[in-house]
Amino acid sequence: MSAFDTFAEKLSRRLARGTSRRSYLAWLGMAATGAAVFPVLPVSRAAAQSHGGGAARPPITSGNPQDPGDRASCDYWRYCAIDGFLCSCCGGTVNTCPPGTEMSPITWIGTCTNPADGRAYVISYNDCCGVSSCGQCLCNRNEGDRPQVRPQSNNDYNWCLSTESSIYNCSVAAIVGVAE
Amino acid sequence: MRSTPFALALLLSAFAGSPLSAAAPPPLPEEALPAVATLPENYPKSWVLVHDFNFNAILDGRVVVVDTADTAQPLKGIIRTAQFGNLLFAPDKHEFYTAETFYSRLTRGERTDAITLWDSVTLQPKGEIVLPGGKRQQAVTYNGTFQFVNGHKWAVVANFTPAQSVTVVDLEGRKVLSEIDLPGCSHFYPTGARGFTTFCADGSLTSIQLDDKGQVASSRTVADVQDVENQAQFQNAAMAGQTAWFVTFRGQLKGYDLSGPVARPLPGNLSVGTAEGGQPEWRPGGWQVIAAGPKGLLYVLMSPYGKEGSHKDGGTEVWLIDPASGKRVSRIALQAHSASIGVTNETTPHLIVTRADAGIDVYDAVSGAFVHSLGNTTAFNPILVTPVP
Repeated sequence: MSAFDTFAEKLSRRLARGTSRRSYLAWLGMAATGAAVFPVLPVSRAAAQSHGGGAARPPITSGNPQDPGDRASCDYWRYCAIDGFLCSCCGGTVNTCPPGTEMSPITWIGTCTNPADGRAYVISYNDCCGVSSCGQCLCNRNEGDRPQVRPQSNNDYNWCLSTESSIYNCSVAAIVGVAE
Repeated sequence: MRSTPFALALLLSAFAGSPLSAAAPPPLPEEALPAVATLPENYPKSWVLVHDFNFNAILDGRVVVVDTADTAQPLKGIIRTAQFGNLLFAPDKHEFYTAETFYSRLTRGERTDAITLWDSVTLQPKGEIVLPGGKRQQAVTYNGTFQFVNGHKWAVVANFTPAQSVTVVDLEGRKVLSEIDLPGCSHFYPTGARGFTTFCADGSLTSIQLDDKGQVASSRTVADVQDVENQAQFQNAAMAGQTAWFVTFRGQLKGYDLSGPVARPLPGNLSVGTAEGGQPEWRPGGWQVIAAGPKGLLYVLMSPYGKEGSHKDGGTEVWLIDPASGKRVSRIALQAHSASIGVTNETTPHLIVTRADAGIDVYDAVSGAFVHSLGNTTAFNPILVTPVP
């Protein structure tokens, strides 16, 4: 991990901890070329779920009672601020990009409450870039989203920016800490 | 493969002489090949351009030319609009312009951003302007990130690295003129003789006029035109002549006169109004949620499930508002949950609605009566509707 990435990760964690649940989409600033939450289509969350998230496939579970839920469903607790295709359905996992892609180094973050232990966790929504759109398990949540006039609050940008390729594939939802 | 009975019939016919009796029609004529269709020089006003975001392969985005009056063959042609691309149409020049991003090995390799010029009759490319820096903004499709200025002579292209700037391009001279830094500002709306207006993160707008070299000639900022946190404007505007109309997340209507060098916010407190049955309340919802129609009417796509975060969820009714009187004229109940709207410029105008399931429905824009559906016959993810001017 480069010094820049380390800096960015620390910045992102610090921002996450200082960010309320309501304004979970924290912006990392102009100096930090970033990546993350991905564009959505103007369809309802219900419609999005019919495209892959939800009950159309067998559940993907962690096996750990402290991390409950279906990782192929938009309702999985870590996806409270996600937009895009779930990497769990695309050859990756909830925290790993699919083979052949490159993980965006900096990311949008969310603060999501784990129903099993009641803690609020900081979630990093890194994009995976360099392979064509996954097309599976599209999720779309817009709480706190604002128009592109305020980039730090907008999920319509393609955030595969500092990667070798800007082609978007899917998004992970990795735990990077406990919100204080 | 030829079937046995068919072969037998041929055999018998050979013994019987010609299979054709005196009453049989002449054979079908031979057909000239190769053959490629073209489009009319002037598109009928029932035609619209539908941007297909093609979410499942974004790098293969396209815009489809659709005849909304033709339920049998609505799809008339396809224009490539690759990798978060944008398209402009200049019917007076019979040209399309696409702003796109490419990699030399499809998903990897050298990046090239370019504007391609297309003939609107043949849909063949006829020129290209390479954009420097590999910084063209990639986002879900909006109208405001690639816009004409200076009539149809020039265009501006949004950049996002995430530093924000705009590249000014001479479409006729086929060259890049300038790049202007616009920190904190996004989307462009043609303004005055040779300029544009852009909206900024602090709630202001900035209007810029350009000189004949594409450099900034004047720049004026108008403060506090929108409350981004509580009453943000949907960024796809409805253009009524040179007035840009926006609707906010909670239903305010805001007009800007863009005919002069500086955008002039129109006075008045217009809104789409309220209605019973909201859960919790009616709000605009969808992607392209506002359109300008006949007699100055504004059409707004509305959802009864309005709340924080619902603004892209689509809607189930279209409300017609007369900005002159400030009154809501009527409500149109849609056949299906829908995402974007446009109104054609036909003598009898039609409301074109893209559904959440990717179908396209056509309504009488005046009476609101449902006319017909084109079904899912033209685009995978129809996200913007641009009626032929």
